Amino acid sequence: MPKRKGLVRLQLSAALAIWAAASWGSPAAQAEETLNICHGGHPIMVASQKILDKWAKKESVKLTTTLIAYDVYVPKVTQMLTTGSAQCDIIWHNDDWGQLWQQYLVTTDDVAGIRNVAKQPLDAFWNDQHELTVIPMAHTVGTFFYRKDLISDAEVPKTFADMVQIGQKLQKEGKVKWGYVGGMSFNNTWFTLWWTMWNSGCDIFKPIYERDNKVLAANGWTSIIDQPCHQQIVDFWWDALHKDRIAPEATTTYGRNEANAIFMAGDAAMTVADSTFWGDYNDKNKSRAAGNIGMVPYPIGPGRSKPITWLDIWGWAIPKSVSPAHQALAKKLLGEMLTDEDGQVQMWNETGGPPPNVRVWDRLTASDPVFRKLKEVVFDQDHAHSAYYFANWPRVHKAYSDAAIKALTGKREDIPAVLKEGAKAVHDAAVAQ
Amino acid sequence: MMALCAKKSDRRYRWTDALAPGGRRALFLLATIAIVLLFLGPIVILVVTSLRPGWAVFYIYRGTDFTLQNYRDVLATEAVMHAFVNSFLVATLATIVSIGVTVSSGYMLSRFRGPIPRAWFGTIYVFRTVPYISWVLPLYLVCYHLGIYDTYAGILLPHIAVHICFFSWIMKGFFDGIDPSMEYAALIDGCTRWGAFLRVALPSAIPAIAALGILSWLYTWNEFLFALILTGHNTALITVTMAQFVTELGTAWNLMSAMAVMAMGPAIIITLFAQKYVVRGLRI
Amino acid sequence: MLLLIAPAGIVLVLFQIVPIVFGANASFRDWQLFNPAQTWVGLKHYLYILGDSTFLTIVLPNTFLLTFLSVTLSLIGGLALAHYLHRNFAGQWLMQTIILLPQMIAPVIGAMMMRWVFNDQFGVVAAFLDWVGFGPISWLAQRWPSFFIVILTDVWIWTPWFALILLAGLRSLPREPFEAAQIDAAGAWRTFTHLTLPMLRPVIAVCVLIRSIDAFRTFDVVWILTGGGPARSTEVFSIYTYVETFVNLDFGRGSAAAIIGALIILVVAGAMYKVAGRVADVAR
Repeated sequence: MPKRKGLVRLQLSAALAIWAAASWGSPAAQAEETLNICHGGHPIMVASQKILDKWAKKESVKLTTTLIAYDVYVPKVTQMLTTGSAQCDIIWHNDDWGQLWQQYLVTTDDVAGIRNVAKQPLDAFWNDQHELTVIPMAHTVGTFFYRKDLISDAEVPKTFADMVQIGQKLQKEGKVKWGYVGGMSFNNTWFTLWWTMWNSGCDIFKPIYERDNKVLAANGWTSIIDQPCHQQIVDFWWDALHKDRIAPEATTTYGRNEANAIFMAGDAAMTVADSTFWGDYNDKNKSRAAGNIGMVPYPIGPGRSKPITWLDIWGWAIPKSVSPAHQALAKKLLGEMLTDEDGQVQMWNETGGPPPNVRVWDRLTASDPVFRKLKEVVFDQDHAHSAYYFANWPRVHKAYSDAAIKALTGKREDIPAVLKEGAKAVHDAAVAQ
Repeated sequence: MMALCAKKSDRRYRWTDALAPGGRRALFLLATIAIVLLFLGPIVILVVTSLRPGWAVFYIYRGTDFTLQNYRDVLATEAVMHAFVNSFLVATLATIVSIGVTVSSGYMLSRFRGPIPRAWFGTIYVFRTVPYISWVLPLYLVCYHLGIYDTYAGILLPHIAVHICFFSWIMKGFFDGIDPSMEYAALIDGCTRWGAFLRVALPSAIPAIAALGILSWLYTWNEFLFALILTGHNTALITVTMAQFVTELGTAWNLMSAMAVMAMGPAIIITLFAQKYVVRGLRI
Repeated sequence: MLLLIAPAGIVLVLFQIVPIVFGANASFRDWQLFNPAQTWVGLKHYLYILGDSTFLTIVLPNTFLLTFLSVTLSLIGGLALAHYLHRNFAGQWLMQTIILLPQMIAPVIGAMMMRWVFNDQFGVVAAFLDWVGFGPISWLAQRWPSFFIVILTDVWIWTPWFALILLAGLRSLPREPFEAAQIDAAGAWRTFTHLTLPMLRPVIAVCVLIRSIDAFRTFDVVWILTGGGPARSTEVFSIYTYVETFVNLDFGRGSAAAIIGALIILVVAGAMYKVAGRVADVAR
């Protein structure tokens, strides 16, 4: 019997260890004026938080950060919002999931400076009562980059056909390994398939460029990816990969990492990427193409006469589960961030994140040639949206990506059949549940 | 049948005989080289990656520039040392506590018959099969409602729950392989069941406990999913720090590889420390 | 006897069983993570998945193939390595550490590294093949090459796991039978098949059981290397669950998929274990 005691003691001590660990790891009592900001840790978010921090110090508020990895960001924050957790006072918000959280977020129409932002990108963030649920942090836009040392001003591609021609010419001359490189695997669809789709007068659902869910529903969420306007995009990329060979065959597997690695190693002449990569591409430590980067509006396909680009934002949002005092404080700080023109200029200089406040645009246009160029190739063009704003959007994106990649990795003559099947899959994804 | 076997072993004997001793040594050497290439090679690639400047982290074989900048950048990351301490504590505590609560349960599974061991084995088995990704979000809810989200307990206890199955089963396997007659002898000598376990079964299981300890320590040290969902900024772990280098706009692979190489340091130390118990075992 | 498992039991119930039951409840409901309405829909999700031809004709076969190949190859590799380590030679500790290296980096990092290593443009393998004169191969753009890389990576990560446990197994075996075999001049292969394997069988059985269950729900390696692509052709069951739960935020359907997969591996692995147990008993 005494031996039993040994066992009990062992297990008691295990329990004690757990209890000790539990009490030791508990957070210290939070001070009243601490706001916790939850985001994914991207440099632009860090820079925007720096502006907030500047104002927080003036209000003697302490800001803390919780980094939530991008891969689990949406499910984890969704779970936090639905359980009414007050863990995050301010969260990162993005147009891709703009609609999902509307009922859990504080409205932001009364935040200072909210009238001085671009209107179109806000489309993703209205709640059912047409109140805003976001405070813009920075714009996220895609841009066509090319190598100025390889492609002269006169040769800059205006159409998809120009792109193939100049790419092949450079490859033949041995100046560069690939004409074009861009991401295509799931969640990178914008940088190959989609920018060409929109610039060829096509879209995923009918009618094209429409984002009003009522109109899309009235059209039965009919996918047009099996229609000629889209089929020719897939044909174009099939040829680019397998026949014209201006892009690596494995492009179907590339994300931003692979595409940027190849472009920055100086192995490709053209790419499409987020505008914020301007800084990395021109950083001598990171890029062999530094100093030779040009930016132009998108080349266009047969279906359009002028370029069209997407214009969307990253933003901040405030959960309803946060105490009213913290909500007010968060709104105040975010308003100060939004009206802090110097702070936004600094964010642009440090990270290349285009400022949310349009007044800053005028100032930067006057003083900064890079911003002037960005404004010309992005902000002054026609605009589309880079996502659809409803709950089934991730499902639609995945179904689209699977169909397009299946078509591009298969035989060319099978493309119509694969896209027909894909159009059905995309429609089913849109009306699922 | 016997003749056939004898013939076979005869042939084998001659074959090794022809090789021995120089040939055998050559074979051993070849195996050693192959193992080093296969297991060390990829790690060398990772280490080289972490030493390359930004433009060469992917084309690691181009150019000859090397830099320590990636390590400096990682060390400048907020709370990175804190994360190392946290991960070390969590991995060590989870391993020790798991061993504490499950060595006996493995023994029970191996030596006792009846409804309780059977039910216990069945329970562990049934709930092991459900993938983590389907219950990590409810696990967040459990931790949240118990008030232990973002505390050490909130990450320790789920890890212990995962290890319980692993330990109990594999310990059962080991105890199954150990002849119980020695314990019966001890029982006859007047030991209690618990005494027989402590004096006879446990010592012979030391290699197993050490091996499982290493593997579960490494598992917790390197675990991403639970860490990402169940920790906030109080209990940041190294894998959470690594995950922040993956953003919507791509991966900072130079920083991630540097962080991964740094994270291997404590892992190697722990392994070196514990693996001598795996080898030593009964043959002290 | 209950006392032996009580602490382990409590942790298991709270941090594994409760979350799983919670998920099981969700699998019978229309439960989108962002939607507070969680209406009961009975077996709707189960029927959907069991009627989903992708799940039946691609996802399940892929999962079984991955499980079978990964477990078999790493078991064989692990047995070989355990034997390699189970001898006294200078530097044994060093080789043991080298063999354990794949377990010392997170599977997530290992998979990322493999993804770059096999890139057709900048990968080290591509550069080597190019140098040898094969030209670039788009490994990840087609089904079977990418499946091959998934298996290669998984085997690389898990072979050391088998090796360490089996080494511990070898070390805790009694010495006398082997000494007797030596006196009888039995060949190495004969000693292995007639002595080592039967004595290790309990350990091998639990190792295979636990690895099969874990391999069946392999997630991070596949997700990082191929994302289930190209076009879902390398999708395995945990990717199916992940996409539903974490990408589509459809917790109901994701949980149903998880439970279907869990039930399948429950039955398959259970049957396997029973058979292995019978074989082991006969062998003993």
